[in-house]
Amino acid sequence: MPFISKIQRQSDYSSFSSNHPIVIDNGGSYFRIGWAGESDPRVIFRNIIQRPRHKITGETITVVGDHNPALLKYFDCTRSGPRSAFDGNVVYQFEIMEYILDFGFDRLGANQSQINHPVLITECACNPVQSRSKIAELLFESYGVPSVAFGVDAAFSYKYNQQFGICSKDGLAICSGFNTSHVIPFLNGEPVYEACCRTNVGGYHVTDYLKQLLSLKYPHHMSKLTWEKVEDLKMEHCYIAPDYASEVRLFQKGDKKAEEKTRCWQLPWTPTPVEEAPSEEEIARKAALKEKQGQRLREMAEAKRFNRINDLENEIRDLDMLLQRLRHVAENDIPSILGKTVYTSKQDVESALVKATQSLRKAKGEPVESVEKMDPSSTEKYNLINVPDEMLTPDQLKQKRKQLFIKSTSEARQQKKQKQVEEELERERQKKLEEERRLENPELYLEELRAKHRDLSEKVEQRKKLKTNGGHSNGNHNGSGGGVGRGERLNSSQRERMRLLTTAAFDRGKGEDTFGTKDEDWQLYKLMSRDNDDDDYDKPDPDEAELARISSRLQEIDPTFIFKSEAGSSSAAEAPRFRPLTKEDFQIILGVERFRCPEILFNPNLIGIEQAGLDEMAGISIRRLEASKGVKERITNSILLTGGSCLFPGMSERLETGIRMIRPCGTPIKIVKASDPILDAWRGASAYAAAMQFPHQTFSRMDYYEKGEDWLRSYQLRYTI
Amino acid sequence: MEPEVVEAELVLPTHMKFKKIQMYEKYPKGQARVRWKHLKQIIQAENYQNYPPNEPNYVNIESPPSTHPCKRICDITGYEAPYFDPRTKLHYANAEVFKVIRSLPNDYVQRYLALRNAAVVLR
Repeated sequence: MPFISKIQRQSDYSSFSSNHPIVIDNGGSYFRIGWAGESDPRVIFRNIIQRPRHKITGETITVVGDHNPALLKYFDCTRSGPRSAFDGNVVYQFEIMEYILDFGFDRLGANQSQINHPVLITECACNPVQSRSKIAELLFESYGVPSVAFGVDAAFSYKYNQQFGICSKDGLAICSGFNTSHVIPFLNGEPVYEACCRTNVGGYHVTDYLKQLLSLKYPHHMSKLTWEKVEDLKMEHCYIAPDYASEVRLFQKGDKKAEEKTRCWQLPWTPTPVEEAPSEEEIARKAALKEKQGQRLREMAEAKRFNRINDLENEIRDLDMLLQRLRHVAENDIPSILGKTVYTSKQDVESALVKATQSLRKAKGEPVESVEKMDPSSTEKYNLINVPDEMLTPDQLKQKRKQLFIKSTSEARQQKKQKQVEEELERERQKKLEEERRLENPELYLEELRAKHRDLSEKVEQRKKLKTNGGHSNGNHNGSGGGVGRGERLNSSQRERMRLLTTAAFDRGKGEDTFGTKDEDWQLYKLMSRDNDDDDYDKPDPDEAELARISSRLQEIDPTFIFKSEAGSSSAAEAPRFRPLTKEDFQIILGVERFRCPEILFNPNLIGIEQAGLDEMAGISIRRLEASKGVKERITNSILLTGGSCLFPGMSERLETGIRMIRPCGTPIKIVKASDPILDAWRGASAYAAAMQFPHQTFSRMDYYEKGEDWLRSYQLRYTI
Repeated sequence: MEPEVVEAELVLPTHMKFKKIQMYEKYPKGQARVRWKHLKQIIQAENYQNYPPNEPNYVNIESPPSTHPCKRICDITGYEAPYFDPRTKLHYANAEVFKVIRSLPNDYVQRYLALRNAAVVLR
């Protein structure tokens, strides 16, 4: 990570005299504070605060900058993310700003009753006076600063590089920062704000774009894509394409070059232990176990059957004995014998015997004669049926009705049985016929069968598709459950219903409403009602039944036939869900994103910001400049790139081609990168504050209150002193 | 507070010796929070219309819209996008991407649209 916070508390604060200025670069992403004349800021930290609550005590604390994230585990950060004092590139939240200044002065080692040093602080170009005055007020009132000066970071950076001859006194500073990008022309070493221009795109937008794109591409790894990590990815991998269109075409074609340009970030991943297939032994052991269990069950069933047979035999023997005894005794004695048993008459005993023998047969597995014995008493049973109603008592009438019912049901049962037998015979006959045909010409038969199968399956498929229309065809399974989603196609019956509803809703004629005068009109509601939506789902489809028959037949005789059931296809669709996660699932691939994200600096409309990109801004700035043609030509010969977002590789080359297209042919163009695009603003400010003339550029608390807001509005440093 | 937290000086002290007015005096606990003006409101309050237009200010230094034709790139892949899906309002590069965008759930579509500030915002 190129940016590292420096937050150790300095111990030499007291060694600086009270007129030694403190220099602050209050940047959108980093806050840098140090002593005038030094080459590097003493303290650097991210310009953010967090105000989490302590998990145990519940007290709200303030954390400035970025700290070891491990220490934040004691705090509940869920409700307070990192916050910045900036809206765009303007400070607006002065409470946050004060915490940040507190921390900055504290780490610089301030230990007296006030900050008794002049302060030079950076601000954006053309900072609104409200923001400027609030900062000044803060510095004067809360910290007791004796005098303050405001300057623009890009200007300091330009001046600093001018010192080393990197750029000349007439030139262009292109400063792409965290929240915004500026192009500021310089004439005679002074910035010309009249001609500068600003586009509200910066490093923040690049990181945010990358973060959003990656988390949309890898929704499962969203939690891994923290702001800090994505910022690192951006700085490590992003570059500016010389020409976006041709670069992206490389990737679209899947060129070898594109492959080389693709980066991959491997997330921590431990392979899940692979389950080994069970060995032969294991399978055999399991089969044996199963067999043993089956055996035991069979034995148990056998024992049960044996017991039952035994019981039944005993019962039959007893009944036989009873009957024999009954046969031998006189009619009068029967009740006395039967009194000891559950039976009431001789017939009762006989029927019990018949029942018992039948169940014995069943238990032994012998066929029970299915033909219902025509009871000799059947005429007796239905004795009342043929007697006319008039001759019967009410009681008998009831009996008659019962008999009628019993008779008709038993007849119906017999009819059905007969029909089944007939059908069976018919089927048998057809099978025989088919078999004959098969034997006659097996090839032809098989071919016919296959054709039939194909036709039928197509038909069935088509019907199914009509029912669930569209759902599968465009692959639109959005999670709206059974409902019809956005733009989803309706199935035929739903469509018909919709049509009816719309025609009903919009009055069809200009004339009077005659709906309801005819009875058919009301049928419409029946058609509209939802109930008839799915009535045909329940009915078994004769085609489907036929299809099932044919496919089973095909399975029998055709070894090449593959039976594909629905169950098979659906399980195939679900299979990927159980695919074990591999290393590749934990990779974040950066391909087009590498140059797509920084491209927004040149084409802000990619993220919906309707402003000119960096190259065009240079042209706009030169156009706005009121200067002679010669100066305008000279100016492009000293273009300085500064600001954190200028660090992308390929920046200078892309800018050069862009500006060359805008400027007249043959214009000398020289683009240089600042010696350190990030720290040069602070260094320039430090050098500036160390100059002898610096105190004349500051204003005091007295000035601030006496001269008023209008004066502060037009306050501007002279950079050449 | 845990010793390691104290040692790291993670927590900003509430009392600063070098300050004339402390934070707790300025923003006492329990008092209603100051509502800071956002940039938009700050700009409005600046009344730039009262000043000469050739004087640079925060608003008039802004870049005008680009004069280049708007580059259309595929919202998903970043490729050049010749096609536009009227249903989702996404730009797309080819049939494969089209398949993808049609299978995207609505909130993802909206998030892709939000990337270029074109999402439907319900107020």
